[in-house]
Amino acid sequence: MTLPSRWASQIAGLAGLLVAALILGWWFGGPGWWLAGAALLYVAFTLRHLYWLDRALDGHRRVPLFETRGLWAEVFARVEKLRTKARNRKKKYHRLLREVRESTGALSDGGIILNVDNEIMWFNRAASHLLGLDQATDLGHRLDNLLRYPDFVEYLKKPTGDGITVRSPRHENGWLHVQIIPYGTDQRLAIIRDVTNEKNVERTRRDFVANASHELRSPLTVISGYLEALGEAGDMPDAWRSPVAEMQRQAERMTRILRDLIELTRLESADAAASRDFVDVSGMLKPLVQEFQGRGGPSVELVLETDAALLGKESELHSIFYNLVNNAVRFTPPSGSVKVVWRAADGGAVFEVIDTGIGIAEEQIPRVTERFYRVDPGRSRASGGTGLGLAIVKHALQRHEAQLAIASREGKGSTFSCRFPRDRVVFRSDAVSAVL
Amino acid sequence: MEVEDLGHHISRRFNEDLERVRNSVLSMGGLVEDQLDRAIKALSDGDSQLGLQVAEDDVKVNRMEVSIDEECSRILATRAPTAGDLRLVIAIIKTITDLERIGDEAEKIGVLAARLASVERPSTNYRELRNLARHVKQMVHGALNAFARLDTKGALEVVKADNAVDEEYESIYRQSITFMMEDPRTITRILDMTWMARALERIGDHAKNICEYVIFMVHGKDVRHIGVKNIEAEVEQGARRLESRT
Repeated sequence: MTLPSRWASQIAGLAGLLVAALILGWWFGGPGWWLAGAALLYVAFTLRHLYWLDRALDGHRRVPLFETRGLWAEVFARVEKLRTKARNRKKKYHRLLREVRESTGALSDGGIILNVDNEIMWFNRAASHLLGLDQATDLGHRLDNLLRYPDFVEYLKKPTGDGITVRSPRHENGWLHVQIIPYGTDQRLAIIRDVTNEKNVERTRRDFVANASHELRSPLTVISGYLEALGEAGDMPDAWRSPVAEMQRQAERMTRILRDLIELTRLESADAAASRDFVDVSGMLKPLVQEFQGRGGPSVELVLETDAALLGKESELHSIFYNLVNNAVRFTPPSGSVKVVWRAADGGAVFEVIDTGIGIAEEQIPRVTERFYRVDPGRSRASGGTGLGLAIVKHALQRHEAQLAIASREGKGSTFSCRFPRDRVVFRSDAVSAVL
Repeated sequence: MEVEDLGHHISRRFNEDLERVRNSVLSMGGLVEDQLDRAIKALSDGDSQLGLQVAEDDVKVNRMEVSIDEECSRILATRAPTAGDLRLVIAIIKTITDLERIGDEAEKIGVLAARLASVERPSTNYRELRNLARHVKQMVHGALNAFARLDTKGALEVVKADNAVDEEYESIYRQSITFMMEDPRTITRILDMTWMARALERIGDHAKNICEYVIFMVHGKDVRHIGVKNIEAEVEQGARRLESRT
């Protein structure tokens, strides 16, 4: 290893000094004293530089340069360079931090950073505005202590899906949408958005559909009434018989569509979860299936593999089962068969309707639950569908935390299965142990 | 070294226990706020089903009170807390009693709302009651926020708001008497309305109590039955003491 030149010259200088002291000591006598004197001189020289260096570092001033060459000049220059670099870096980070802070502050969505205990670590201006948080007092408090809606507290424990909509704590008619996004090891980011306008538009739309359906129903009742009277009148010319009968059929269909529309808006505007009444499923399915048997359509078979009951809203469950069976019967030729199955699965229970009907093309499966979506418009209308059945099924199932799965092959048939979660299902064994 | 570690461990567990029970008080508070909110909604929407649902859900509040009470007894028995910790536990025990009462009043409002839903509604759709309810809801919200933040200034605001609520109740009461004299056919409905106003006014009192416990918890001063002026003085004095300590 070779020494850098600045070190070599420093050592050479020191050696020169000591040798000179030795020669002088040998000449004048007392070489020990001369050597010690030279060493002291060197120490004093070094200390003086150290003192300057220390003072300069202490006072954040520029390190002064007293020499233009040699070890000390080099050391001072390098210290100065390091300090300039650090200063520039600090400035840069400072600017970056300010920019980040300004941009997150300008965001219209609120952001809150939570730690693993849901304590608030940081939040932006929009969050404090939307939730009424205070920068001075609320850091370190738990978010669920300040935003105490039971639904939200539940959601915060298990953040699943795409967030939750809660009432605004600051404005009586305001609504906020909160989504929790986990990141890092165990940090979480809560994004808060003001959805009051969306909610209002949604409500206006729903109210409009509901009101329009109600308003249309009364004139339709009058028309149906007169049509019925006309149809029963004995002295009607034969040429009018078939048009009147057709008008009656269409009026009936319109009534059905309106009834389904009203049902659908009711499902949409109701609270998130359906009530938990005890519903005897097998008792409900038997008469329901019987209604479809012996109508000249496909054969309908009921298979009850379990005697489990459901905790839900009776009218909605009936409408789920009825719509699914009705659909299957309508899209299955008279030579085919429909199987209705009620069975236990994975702790929960499954209601299944299996038909050998015309089936649905794969790319259309995701769309069949949209309202008024028809795979084959002509056929669907001819068989008396309203186009709302599956939309009703979907919404009613959501209110029971159940899931709808559709499997189908064109020309072979379809299977619609509704999977009800464990806590909505009551098995007879549960009932027995509850009594015991 | 080992003994020290153990001691640290125990006190940390203790802190966790206290923190957990404090959090459950606040989730109970959230539940009570929700109950009150839905009871008022049942009144303004004339939704009898919602009103009855609220009445039914009161058992949830009661269940929480019992479980928090048990937890507090356990902490008192096993940890023997002192000073600030003891005040916290005492304040929690008292707070949950008041929260449970608020829950009961919400239940009452739910039942009354269900009953009022089936009779003819006044043209104002119970505007005075809804106004009173809004103020009371704000009080409960403020009281729980003060509890969460240990914010005595916020608690003081709620205590002050109680007077306005009492006045509002008085005016509804007087108004009801005139209505009943004018038209005796409305007596049943107006009596129900008065009961509801009474329940709301009581909720305001319970919210005020909770705020007094918050002041007790933070400053160690019992400020019950001493009047708003004196409470204000105590809060200021307490805040100064805290400042000088830090």
